[in-house]
Amino acid sequence: MAVYRRSRRNRFFLVLLALTSVTVLTLDYRGGGDGALEGIRSTAHDAFAPLQSAADWAVSPISGFFNSIGDFGDLKSENARLRRELDEARAEAIRGADADRERQGLLQLQGLDYAGGLDSVPARVVSTAPTNFQLTITLDRGTDAKLDVGMPVVTAAGLVGRITEVSKIRSTVLLITDPQSNVGVRLANSGEPGVLRGSGTRNPLPLDLITNEIPVQVGEPVVTSGLERGLFPAQIPVGRVRNVTSQPSALQKDILIEPSVDLVRLEFVRVLLWRPTG
Amino acid sequence: MRSDPRLRLPVMFIAALLLQTTVLARIRFFGVMPDFMLLVAVAGGITAGPTRGATLGFASGMLIDLFLPTPLGLSALVFTLVGYGVGVANTGVLRSAWYIPVLVAAGASAAGVVLYALVGSVLGEPMVTGHLITIAAVVGVSNAVMAPVGVRFVDWSLGSLKAGAPLSA
Repeated sequence: MAVYRRSRRNRFFLVLLALTSVTVLTLDYRGGGDGALEGIRSTAHDAFAPLQSAADWAVSPISGFFNSIGDFGDLKSENARLRRELDEARAEAIRGADADRERQGLLQLQGLDYAGGLDSVPARVVSTAPTNFQLTITLDRGTDAKLDVGMPVVTAAGLVGRITEVSKIRSTVLLITDPQSNVGVRLANSGEPGVLRGSGTRNPLPLDLITNEIPVQVGEPVVTSGLERGLFPAQIPVGRVRNVTSQPSALQKDILIEPSVDLVRLEFVRVLLWRPTG
Repeated sequence: MRSDPRLRLPVMFIAALLLQTTVLARIRFFGVMPDFMLLVAVAGGITAGPTRGATLGFASGMLIDLFLPTPLGLSALVFTLVGYGVGVANTGVLRSAWYIPVLVAAGASAAGVVLYALVGSVLGEPMVTGHLITIAAVVGVSNAVMAPVGVRFVDWSLGSLKAGAPLSA
């Protein structure tokens, strides 16, 4: 009898805890980006930040070691490749500078956004998300530095993601590789718009909605499209086409894009002070 | 250790959270990191039975939820169920052999990951992908490796709370 009563009490307790979780879950899910729960969350982020920074400072040499295991063999060939790319980039920059000036003038005439002319705030990446299901990073700046939800995050190489959560001194960035991320992009050569989908892993990202007739070259650059009501301003570099295949029966090409930013080894980023319209 | 037993639980939770968000978040195998907060729930079930396992799972899940972009309460719900399940399955087989907690940690952690992805996809988060198998496997193995230390740590943190409580239901 005692055994029976005890196991019933256990089960009651389980149901109680599970229902509490579901209630909180529902409240948070329905509440969206505001409400008391969001307040608790951002307070926790801010309160935990100093402890986290201290621990991070202490362990960063260890994890640096972990990350660099196996890297040494690649360094030499990587160096050679980077030199070659730098030369190419220098030549391209000279060719591009004049065209860029011309285009900026045209965009200004049309009243369009241009990422190159936006104000930005530098930020340091303090951690990656403590989960295996979302690909996010945490920055050491928040609303105190005028950051807000929806702002694009970039490095000199290109697009990183956008801010999805912000507290006073911390903000969370959803990377473009996260399965929930969709980026409106444009192929640089043809100008054809498509949607870049996060795949959840660190592999190249699939590019959707490019029809079979459009010519696509491997290595072709991809930039944000900045279409109306888009989540990003136009002309931020996103990556290059790595792989193109097309089946005659399919409606669209299978295209894989290699992001231009090394999203695994981010240290410093810039947050563009730009909000999506609409 | 002669520390105030009432302080042990908060100390354990803060240490676990720091470990998860700083050290483990940087150590990834195949792009996947170990899940110490899930291990806390498993260890709770192993050392203190279903009720305390569920409670520890709830607390550690709620704590990590505060630092995740997913809705608050998702990990709490899953970890509660995992802690309870391990407690029920495991009462009485405690202290039998050193490898039992290790095996339980591996199985329960992998199962917890899959459950998390399933509940998550009910909420519209795209979590059930081909990558899920890798995540479950890596979390299972790495949590099994951490289990001997993790279980002892959680056991210590429960300290006097557990004293006097019979381990068999």
